[in-house]
Amino acid sequence: MWSKPLGMTEGSLVCAALVAAGLVLQFLVGPVQWDSMACPINLLVLFFLLFGIVVMHLCRSKVRLFRWMATLQAGVPAMVTCAMMTVLMGVTRQVPSGQTPVDIFGITAMLSFWPFVLTYLWLVLLVGMVCMTRLRLLWRNIPFLLNHLGLFIALVAGTLGNADMQRLRMMVQEGKTEWRAVDARHKVHELPIAIELHDFTIEEQPKLSFVSDVTVYTKGGIVVRDTIRVNKPMEVKGWKIYQYSYDEAKGSMSDISIFELVRDPWLPYVYLGIFMMLAGAGTGLIGKGEKEKRINGKLE
Amino acid sequence: MVSWSELSVFALPALALWAVAAVLSLLGKRQRMVCALAICGLLVFGTYIALMWLSLERPPLRTMGETRLWYSFFLPLVGLLTYSRWHYRWVLSFSTLLSAVFICINILKSEIHDKALMPALQSPWFAPHVIIYMFAYATTGTAMLLALWQLLRGQDQMNAIDNLTRVGLSFLTIGMLFGALWAKEAWGTYWSWDPKETWAAATWLCYLVYVHWRRCCPLALRPALLWQIVCFLCLQMCWWGINYLPSAQGVSVHTYGG
Repeated sequence: MWSKPLGMTEGSLVCAALVAAGLVLQFLVGPVQWDSMACPINLLVLFFLLFGIVVMHLCRSKVRLFRWMATLQAGVPAMVTCAMMTVLMGVTRQVPSGQTPVDIFGITAMLSFWPFVLTYLWLVLLVGMVCMTRLRLLWRNIPFLLNHLGLFIALVAGTLGNADMQRLRMMVQEGKTEWRAVDARHKVHELPIAIELHDFTIEEQPKLSFVSDVTVYTKGGIVVRDTIRVNKPMEVKGWKIYQYSYDEAKGSMSDISIFELVRDPWLPYVYLGIFMMLAGAGTGLIGKGEKEKRINGKLE
Repeated sequence: MVSWSELSVFALPALALWAVAAVLSLLGKRQRMVCALAICGLLVFGTYIALMWLSLERPPLRTMGETRLWYSFFLPLVGLLTYSRWHYRWVLSFSTLLSAVFICINILKSEIHDKALMPALQSPWFAPHVIIYMFAYATTGTAMLLALWQLLRGQDQMNAIDNLTRVGLSFLTIGMLFGALWAKEAWGTYWSWDPKETWAAATWLCYLVYVHWRRCCPLALRPALLWQIVCFLCLQMCWWGINYLPSAQGVSVHTYGG
């Protein structure tokens, strides 16, 4: 073992070691604190992840371990371990996100369970390493990169960006301007945008619809006047403003309107990854099968 | 204009055309003739969907019966594409049979035609998401049956199993990502690890393992065939198993009543 060449046994051992290390960490420091991943920590983590991958890739001719990380012998056990972790998550009842686990190991909050996080991190690392080996713009690399780099981008951006996503509620009175909003834990946030509500109405024709006539101000001095309806959110400086509610006791006489404001700065990157994977799946459908490739290879 | 009562007028001739195409392909007849017959069937059935669309004055995607129309249409279409791509003789019989099941449900169970979908499902994403998943289930299910066949009878089916799994995995990927885009639009998050999503991820990873295993150890067939069964079990859990899974009760946005 650990003698040349590194193979699947070593791949399985690394995964077993990661699970063991994760369990130790879980007992020592408790569940993973994703909240602390907010900007700028996540940018730092991203930098070290990419830097690490590039350095390991450049040292691959000297270090056998780094060369092995881009092989299937390392990848398959990592995928199996992640699948097992995910199945474990599927058969245990999970607590709502953000809450502390209710069991002694921590598997009821699987997303904060260290072995789960470490095995997925290992998989992402391996995907990053294998992408580096194919990072040249050749026709035959394109489907491979769409699949693998797309998954890498979507997973990394989705995970690191999660703590930066803000989802706030803002209540505005007619004729007033508001710039404070509360999050799910009732904490007040002062925003870089302000909403002035001119009028809130309930239209009944042709379809029931709640309409807020607003002016939105930003710190940069941009002023936008528009209407916000259910299913017709407004977008200003990265904030999506949804019509959320109103004073239901007063009905159509309501003089307040409640908005939901959502900001997800990493979303474009998640979408980039998702669309790359979709394109990759498309090439998988029109591409040639393995056998066909082999046969054609022989004939040519 | 047409209504549900005219379904059999269009569906039975379409089904007959598909069935003839399936039999001819089983007998190894000329591919061009088989394809022409299957396309005629698709045109007949497609006409019915188009006429329904016109008479309803909206796309027929709203009720369970209406979405079944699309399954019945897409299954033979995808079967035809697979047939013209890889020339598997049995694939048209398989797709015709599945399509017939959905058509029969629509003809016999007339009372649920107008049962409305719950609001969360009234989205343009619903039909593609479900249709793509249905096709993925069909292809990967076939791959598993062939794997069982090879395990029990020792007949080499690896080429067909690999191709079907690859196509199935592509469709699983597309279905899953369409689900993510839809969820972002409907609930504001693209992935919330709801039990159905968790099992979809597990299933997806299992099929990824299969595809990579075949490249890594192409000669180790037995583990690959046994792994097909593991993948299929995950898929069943994802499809309907979670409706009975204690850990998923009451927390999934994907379990609707029942």
